[in-house]
Amino acid sequence: MPSKIEIGVDIGGTFTDVVCRTPDQPLRVMKVATTRADPSRAVLTAVNDLKETAGLSPADIARFVHGTTVATNAVLERKGPKTGLLTTEGFKDILEIGRQMRQTMYAAVLEPEVPGYLAEGAYRHEIGERVAHDGSVVRPLDEASVRRAADALAAEGVEGIAICFLFSFVNPDHERRAAEIIREAHPGIALSLSCEVDPAFREYERTVVTTFDAYIKPVIDKYLANLEAGLEQAGVPCPLQIMQSRGGIASSEIVRQRPVRLFLSGPAAGVVGAQMVGSAAGIGDLISVDIGGTSSDIALIREGKPLIRPEGYVAGYNIRVPMVDVNAIGSGGGSIAWIDPSGGLRVGPHSAGSEPGPACYARGGEEATVTDASIVLGYLDPDYFAGGTLKLQPELAFKAVEEKVAKPLGMSVEEAALGIHRVVNTQMTEGIRLVSIRQGYDPREFALLPLGGAGGIHAAALANELGINRIIVARHPGVLSATGLLSAVTEHEMSVAFNREVSALDLAELGEALKGLDARCAVLMDKEGVAPEDVEIQYFADVCYVGQSHYLEVPFTPEKGVGETLHAGFQAAHRRVFGHATEAPTAIVNVRAIHRAGGEIIIDKEEAVAVSDAAKGTRDIIVAGHEGRVNATIYDREKLAPGQTLPGPAIIEQADTTTLVPPGWNIDVLDGGTILLVREGAKA
Amino acid sequence: MTQETKLDPITVEVVRNKLDGIANEMESTLLRSSFSPIVREGLDASASLFTLEGESLAQAVAIPIHLATMIPVVKRISTEFPPSTMKEGDIYLMNDPYLGGTHLPDIALVMPIFADGRPIAFAATMTHHQDVGGMAPGSIPTNATEIYQEGLRLPPLKFRDGPDKFDETVIKILRLNSRIPDTFMGDIHAQVSACTVGAQRVAEVAKTYGRNMMTAIFADLLDRSEQMTREALTQIPEGTYRYVDFNDNDGIELDKRIRIEVAVTIKDGTFSCDFTGTNAQVRGPFNVVPSGSQAAAYYALRTITGAHIPTNGGCFRAVELNLPKGSILNPVEPAPVNSRTATIKRATGAILGALREVRPEVVGADAAGEMLALMFGGMRPNGRRYVVGELIAGGSGAGPNSDGVDVIETDATNCMNLPVESFERDAPIRINATRLRRDSGGAGRQRGGLGIYREYEVLEGEVVFTHRGERHFCAPAGAEGGESGMMARSVIHRASGEDEVIPSKLVTRLFPGDRVVIETAGGGGFGAPAERRREAIEADRANGKVSPEEARKVYGLTDR
Repeated sequence: MPSKIEIGVDIGGTFTDVVCRTPDQPLRVMKVATTRADPSRAVLTAVNDLKETAGLSPADIARFVHGTTVATNAVLERKGPKTGLLTTEGFKDILEIGRQMRQTMYAAVLEPEVPGYLAEGAYRHEIGERVAHDGSVVRPLDEASVRRAADALAAEGVEGIAICFLFSFVNPDHERRAAEIIREAHPGIALSLSCEVDPAFREYERTVVTTFDAYIKPVIDKYLANLEAGLEQAGVPCPLQIMQSRGGIASSEIVRQRPVRLFLSGPAAGVVGAQMVGSAAGIGDLISVDIGGTSSDIALIREGKPLIRPEGYVAGYNIRVPMVDVNAIGSGGGSIAWIDPSGGLRVGPHSAGSEPGPACYARGGEEATVTDASIVLGYLDPDYFAGGTLKLQPELAFKAVEEKVAKPLGMSVEEAALGIHRVVNTQMTEGIRLVSIRQGYDPREFALLPLGGAGGIHAAALANELGINRIIVARHPGVLSATGLLSAVTEHEMSVAFNREVSALDLAELGEALKGLDARCAVLMDKEGVAPEDVEIQYFADVCYVGQSHYLEVPFTPEKGVGETLHAGFQAAHRRVFGHATEAPTAIVNVRAIHRAGGEIIIDKEEAVAVSDAAKGTRDIIVAGHEGRVNATIYDREKLAPGQTLPGPAIIEQADTTTLVPPGWNIDVLDGGTILLVREGAKA
Repeated sequence: MTQETKLDPITVEVVRNKLDGIANEMESTLLRSSFSPIVREGLDASASLFTLEGESLAQAVAIPIHLATMIPVVKRISTEFPPSTMKEGDIYLMNDPYLGGTHLPDIALVMPIFADGRPIAFAATMTHHQDVGGMAPGSIPTNATEIYQEGLRLPPLKFRDGPDKFDETVIKILRLNSRIPDTFMGDIHAQVSACTVGAQRVAEVAKTYGRNMMTAIFADLLDRSEQMTREALTQIPEGTYRYVDFNDNDGIELDKRIRIEVAVTIKDGTFSCDFTGTNAQVRGPFNVVPSGSQAAAYYALRTITGAHIPTNGGCFRAVELNLPKGSILNPVEPAPVNSRTATIKRATGAILGALREVRPEVVGADAAGEMLALMFGGMRPNGRRYVVGELIAGGSGAGPNSDGVDVIETDATNCMNLPVESFERDAPIRINATRLRRDSGGAGRQRGGLGIYREYEVLEGEVVFTHRGERHFCAPAGAEGGESGMMARSVIHRASGEDEVIPSKLVTRLFPGDRVVIETAGGGGFGAPAERRREAIEADRANGKVSPEEARKVYGLTDR
């Protein structure tokens, strides 16, 4: 039988995580240092390592899926190439005027809130043309002005041009024709058309997303071409696949054409990983909490599906492209505890990050962080942090907590450390509450799924505060993103503006619009090598009350009675999110087709190893709500066997994370090694 | 626990984070469950927790003009209805500006929070309602000359007696006075929901920590913010700092400028703003009741004292205000007040302007500080009526190290503009251009932010056009040798070929072929223009923010 190897690679800031799945074998997990200058180098190193250490031949790799932060980094570091922007005459500055709102409320000296740097005024050209709101042409395209602008931009050395004309989402002819003219004269310049990138109303939002697309396209193109070539050279025969922001994957060849869909590539993989672990455990409603060094990411999964939002913040800019609903809050393991001028204890928002990092990292950090408090409280084994790759210095943690917090507050080091945890856990709890309340959900209906190195330390405290009864700890929480890559579906999504009142909906007209979307998705699926019969199609409409601009996504099937379905679906969604609904008339804003194929739940084949007792000793720890010290059993995660049930207090240690099980919580080990923590008295 | 026991600083901080979280949850509930778009998208609503004494504990505000504006409301309600007489589930309501409110569309709901059977705090919300009656739809009539024309005035009332007995008489009066009673009551109930969430969650926290400890924590949190605020104020050199700025007119007497004068005194950890010398109250609706000037002063205080201080009533103990009776900042009943925003913005700018000499790095040059309000209304050939409104900003002031930001909301307001693609769908008017207004940013070592240039053309029918501008007659000042930003300017180009300059405020009719050009003001520059870096001037010229002529004339740029 030919072996079928699947590889998922997630590149983070510090580590590149690699998971390798071969039939009937436990998942192989590797962490290699990220190579910042050329991230693809670390990927190729990993492939080589697999060959040398595990004897896996690159020729047997059947699937290679990748999650990348290259798009986000290009924006954060402003490393994109010179980019041009063509607009309708009179509207050159749309990109820089924005919506005039500010995020920083209490300040008089302000910073720009729009990404004008993508294409400064000198690189923006006005084109003679105008389309009215109904799609009629008010002024035909002045083709000479397109040529002049393109020649000027080419002379400036731009690598990409974004084209965004008013009302092109209703009538794209002028944008398309302008693109043709430029391609003819300057075939080397990459183009992004707003009628293709984001065909929806509101010109500023459409201009921003289209210009971002043009700005990062050359960067993504180079990076992925490099990686593709490297894999080919290494003898990997399968096409490279990339995770997109919505949580579906697509071939590298296609995403290079639509790079703006990659901003949340990494976090989306994490959410898909969480969804997969939950589904395998039979739990569809999850809140995932990824606790990092400087911040934590919160995402909701409802009925086995990650919540998607139509736009999100990237590098501080609101970008209108659908993405998994991941919300960052400014508390993490590196958050610094400090004493304010009135003598009060505060935690964050400043963070020690990974450099210098917490005091216990012994890299020169002197501030007391949340991680230092975890050491003082006995949660972390200094000799077994990150699988022993980083030796922590507990005495530095004690010193920092003592000097920066305990002494000024006149309390013991242990009290101070517990205080730091109580405060940061309160902040995270309030953050999680707000994320779920905003979506209209009560957090008590969800299970909590911690990820990231520090997630397992805080999960039980957060669950206690939120009234959550179950916590799921994935077998490999530290590489959940990379694992998620392997179970993601191949997905292509297309949407188009479709402004119609629901009551006056013409089924034939709707069908025409969907046919157009389906045809475009089908071309892409065909390029992916997916057979039409394997494709599952879903349709959604963005619906609002007539006269309002706030819309919600509603699923539908284009059949008789679709109007009623949409109206009722919108009412239900409105009731959930906003708490009420009226019988006011509704209207469609956009329609969307989503084509999906593949995707599967991986239950890792865990060898039944429980040959010896998983308990490797005990440690005295300090937990909130319990006087003095509590004696916790330390378990080796590698030795826990499916079917085992163990009581807290306990600490479960494994290479990539540590899980705290306070008194009042029990451990259930599920198939595949997933751990379910259940609060005593709650039904499992 | 006895009162003498020292408070545990950790519990204090845990409770503080919870109170902030609860205020945010109230705000989220309020925004989510409101019916009208002005609340959901304009974010014109806020939620707070207060002590029984009427000091704010935690507040979630989406726009600064709401900062602490509920303080006088809560004080008034607890004076009329002593907390000792309140029952669990009671809700109180009011809006009257002359009794502590802001303007009539802002209705406050206040609900006592109980612990151990007695009130311990208040949950309060305020929402800008879409219509509370009066002479014009929307209840912000620009031509009002007395408050009676502005809508329904509500004194402090008990709106609900206990957990479910609403006062049906009050509800009937409310419904009868609004042009859109269903939306109106929907928004009121969103406020009820938000107060309920706040009251329930605070009561839960109080159950955990006990009533006495909770009240001790409240007092401690207020004391700490007060202490930090006063300490931050002592870092500023003591003295009295003055500033004068002007608004254009009150829309009725077009040639009369409106003077806003302030003397800010910083001494012994207090922050006092004396507005002696400020204009007498005006006939038009630009008067501001004291809660608005308080919001202005609190905003300025929070801007100069540092983000590390938790915002609560303790901060505001350091503020003293002198608002001369009969002035535009303390009008005598029944002066109209609905369009108060422009005045609050100028008062905020004046306080900051006064502090510039001692805190130039925080204050920077003057911002345009204008929120141009335009309204287009008419009828389609099919008989359908339309009204489209826009709020448009100017540029922000330059700072010591950074240029001003082009076209951005500043100080007490924070509203979005309208996309062309939404505007043209809603009105038979075409927008011919939306550009940055070249050369409008005040010249300086750091240049002021640019205003906007926007041109409208009427396509069909007759349009009733309202224009409420500022900065048409008095420019935003530069700082430390920087020049002032360009003044705003608006012109109607009639199809007949005649041009009419708009004197800041105007209500007129437009006809097909008429074009309106509006240009908002730029922010002031910081430092002498001669000190501006050559590369910055060249970039401004290349990017079209500064014309070649201005680059040569003002900055002396010659091509090398």
